[in-house]
This record gives sequence, C-alpha cells and structure tokens, in this order.
Amino acid sequence: MARHDDGVVTVGRSRIGTVFANTGGILFGLVMIFPVYWVLNTAFKPDAEVRSFTPTFWPENPTLDNFRSALGEQHFLPSMVNGLVITAMAVAAALVVGFLAALAIARFAFYGRKAIILVVLAVQLVPFLALLIPLFLMLQGVNLTNTLVGVALVYLVLLLPYTVWTLRGFISGIPRELDEAAMIDGCTRAQVFWRIILPLTGPGLVATSVYGFIQAWNEFIIINTLNDPNHQNLMAWLLYNQTERGTAWGPLMAGAIITSIPVVVFFLIIQRNIATGLTAGAVKG
Amino acid sequence: MRHGKYPFIIGFLAVPVALYAVFVVAAYVQTFQLAFTSWSGFGVIKYVGFENFEKLWNDDLFWKSLRHNGFLLLLLPIATIAIALVFAFLLNVGGGTKGGMTRGVRGSKLYRVIFFFPQLMALAIVAVIFGRVFSSDKSGMLNGLFPDSWQPWLFLADDRWALTCILVVLVWQAVGFYVVLFSAGMGSIGEEIYEAAALDGATKVTLFFRITLPLLWNTIQTGWVYLGIAAFDAFALVNIMTVDRGGPDGATSVLAMMIYRNTFEYSQVGYASALGVVLFFLTLTFAALTLRVTRRDAV
Repeated sequence: MARHDDGVVTVGRSRIGTVFANTGGILFGLVMIFPVYWVLNTAFKPDAEVRSFTPTFWPENPTLDNFRSALGEQHFLPSMVNGLVITAMAVAAALVVGFLAALAIARFAFYGRKAIILVVLAVQLVPFLALLIPLFLMLQGVNLTNTLVGVALVYLVLLLPYTVWTLRGFISGIPRELDEAAMIDGCTRAQVFWRIILPLTGPGLVATSVYGFIQAWNEFIIINTLNDPNHQNLMAWLLYNQTERGTAWGPLMAGAIITSIPVVVFFLIIQRNIATGLTAGAVKG
Repeated sequence: MRHGKYPFIIGFLAVPVALYAVFVVAAYVQTFQLAFTSWSGFGVIKYVGFENFEKLWNDDLFWKSLRHNGFLLLLLPIATIAIALVFAFLLNVGGGTKGGMTRGVRGSKLYRVIFFFPQLMALAIVAVIFGRVFSSDKSGMLNGLFPDSWQPWLFLADDRWALTCILVVLVWQAVGFYVVLFSAGMGSIGEEIYEAAALDGATKVTLFFRITLPLLWNTIQTGWVYLGIAAFDAFALVNIMTVDRGGPDGATSVLAMMIYRNTFEYSQVGYASALGVVLFFLTLTFAALTLRVTRRDAV
C-alpha cells in the first residue's frame, strides 16, 4: 500500500495530465489502426493507383476488381473450405479433450499431476518448427499427409496446452462446495461434471475457442509442409500466391481482408467476454 | 466417495497424454536422433556423432542468429510490456478522479477494441503490410511520407536497422493484446485501494509503481514468458519481410529461420535437427530462468 509521501497532496484531476493521456491514447490508436486502414485502402484501389509512386490516402476510383480477382483464383474457394474444416475439427476436438483434461487436473489429486501440468506448460514453450520433419515422417507413415485430418491433429496438439491451462483456471474458480452439494443431493460424479461444471465453464470455452480459431485459421507453415497445393488453407494460399505472382498488392490485400473476415466476425461476437476469458487462466495460474 | 476416482482420471487424460506422447515426445526424440546424422531428407541415414554440433560451433551464422534471438529476447518483452503498461494505466486510471472515482480516459472502450485489432490480423498478413511500410524506395509508406528531398531510407535493406524493423513489427503486433490483458488485471484491482491511496496523497506515478505494478506482477510474468517465446520464434516475420530471408547478409537471421532453410532449402536435415536441439534447450532454460528470477511474493 502507498504511504504518506511528503508534500504530495493532490487528489483532484490534473488538467495537463488528462490532456496528455488523451493525446497519447489517440496517437497510439492511430499507429495501431493505420496498417489495417492501409489494407482496406489498397484493396479498393484499381491497379494503376496501387502502383502509383505517390501514395494516396483514399482510393480515387474505388473498385471491387481486386476482390473479384482474388475470389476467381482457382485455389481460393477450396482453400477457404479446407481451412474452415480443419479449424472446426481442431477447435472442437481441443475443447472436448481439453475440458476433460482440465477437469482431471483441477478436480482430482493424483500421482503425476504436477508432472502433467509441467509437461503441458513446457510444450507451449517448445518451438514447433524443430518438429516439422518428424511430424511429416510420422503422418506420412500412416498416410495422413495431404489430408485435412492430419493437419487438424497437429493443430489439436498445438491448441491443447492453452486450452487445458485456461479451462483449468476456470474450473478451479468454481467452488468445490457446489460439487459436494450436488452429490449429497444424489448426483453422480459424471452428472456433476456434466450439469454443473460444464455450464459454469461456458465463458472459458468461448475464450479458448476464439484463441483456437485464430491460431488454426492463421497457421500456414505446418500446413504448407504437410500438404500439397490442393490441401492448403487460405493463409497458406495467400502467401504462396504472393510469391508466385510477385507483388500484386491489390488482390493480395483483398485476399487478406477476406481471410480476416471470419476472425473479425468471431471476435466481434464475443468481444465483451474476451478480456475476462483471456485473463482468467493467466491470473489464477 | 474415494473409489471411482481413477477411472475418471485415466479416461480424461488418456487422449491428451497419448497425443503428447506421439506428436511431441516421440517427435522430439526423433529430432534428437536426427541431430546425430548427416541425413539430407532422402535416402540412407548415417550417424556422424557430434559432427553437426561441431559444425554449429564453428558456424558464424549460428552465432549471429543467436545474437539476434538474444536481441529480440531482451528488447521485445521490455518494450512491449512497458508500452502496454503505460497505455493500460492511461486507459484505466489516466482520466483523473471525479467525484472520488478514478476513471479511464474518454473512449477507453473503443481503444480497447482498436488495440486488439493487430491481434486479429494474421502474422503473415502483418508481415506483408509492414514489408510495404518499410519498403526501401519511394513507394514505401514511410519513405513516401518523408519529404521528397530526402534520400529514401533503406530500412529492411540496411543491415544495421533491419532487425530493429522486425522488432518494431513484433512490438506493434503484441502490444495491443497486453494492453487489454493488463487492463483486465487493473480492472480487478479494487477501486477502494486506489481511493485510499489517493486520499493518502499518492500521485499517479506513485499509484502506478506502488499499487498497480506489484498487483499485476503475476500477469506481467506470464506475459514475459509468452513474449520471450515469440522472440525465440520470429520466423514468420523474418521469412516474409526480410531481404533474402534472413538478410541482408544474415543481418536478420534467427535460429528458426536457419532451421527452416537447412531443412527445406539446403537439404541438411541432420544439421537442422541439431539446431532444433539447441533451440529446445535454450527455450526451456529461458522459461525456467524467467519463472525463477521473477518469482516474488504477492503484495
């Protein structure tokens, strides 16, 4: 707690401080938002304006050509569908597997519990890039390269640590007395998990699914290594497309916008809960 | 009630443990194994003992990459956390005190959404955009903003500044998330604590250092570890943004970039695996050290 500091007695607001805070906030906000705005700006410009050496801050002749050309690419729609399927599989599996694992860790004391928590944490730290080759060989051995399931499995492993960790935080926050009360009323342990803990973990499930969605949707290195061009997701397609055709900025930015739409929509829906969801795991860690 | 506990534990943990055993533990064992071979990715696997590690020791690019990772490891968390703390504080407490209530600046809810936007953009797209921002001719955004009489700045093409450009983008991408995270942490610090301190005559600065910082310490510590991991990686940005992927002349090379190039471009899977082993130990050491050094009693 703060002690009495000699000579300092201001309680009210200082005007200069407030002006400073507001200016700082606005400037910082501009820096944060500028690249996003620039993507939009470029995506709606016709090719000639994009290539112009004097950048303009507004498209003079706004056009949808870039979007048409991105959508018209042979691999665009299939890649989008692939990405959605892989993401849905990985996130759904991570929620189920992660919730059960978090339950076990949060609600039971057992031999090896500490070890499991440590391993879960350690896996988050280990750079996945070093595992690309073994993973490729492993999946190739069981004919899962060039499939959506293979990639979804790897993503599941990537998403699990965060999922388990966050859900564990949420479950630990639910008082055990609730479990006990329900069991006295005749619930079995399974019913307690299903009827009491699962509904109360709702916000945690939302938060982790957002995180999982963003991670899986935006990943491109693993999928690029494991799969052929017919089994890529949108992000990998976008980057591959860029290197392939040099710098076609307009269509690239249009593609980037289309790629970001699912994430942004998802975010806006759950925006209110995100801070609580993200911190619950960390703060109670 | 005690009986019937183990079926649950085993049932709940079987799948994740199996997944880890296969995809992480077994995969890492294989990386360790490959580190002692001269395998190219095809054909026969030949064991060569510690040859890869000797080569690594004498590889200038390795030491250079390690220094670059160190540079990012030091500056990314410091810069990100410092900026995020200041702005989170501004948003939450910066608006001054009115009617005895400490408030954030006007529009702090909107800021929170704006700050979160970079987080929603894929790192790959961020890299592509900032490639444009830092473009080294007049078509680049920054160079375009400078007066015409100036020589265009080289940014990513300048071996002295290229890595700093990468650092700036990493900070830009990460900082919004930590503003939101720290804001949430500050929100959970009781209003009455601030009030009591303000009545005791504490200034904003005192509030920040005596109350906010200590009470947020756990969150900051977690953030430090995550940012450190991001600094160890940095692959996506280096891969997409930099001249000659890790250039100019290795000025932005990082360990992950070396692993990738050795695996997929130079067909030196054995050497890449040795780098992977080094990265593995470095990451774990970093995490263990961070958690130990920053451990601190709660206020």
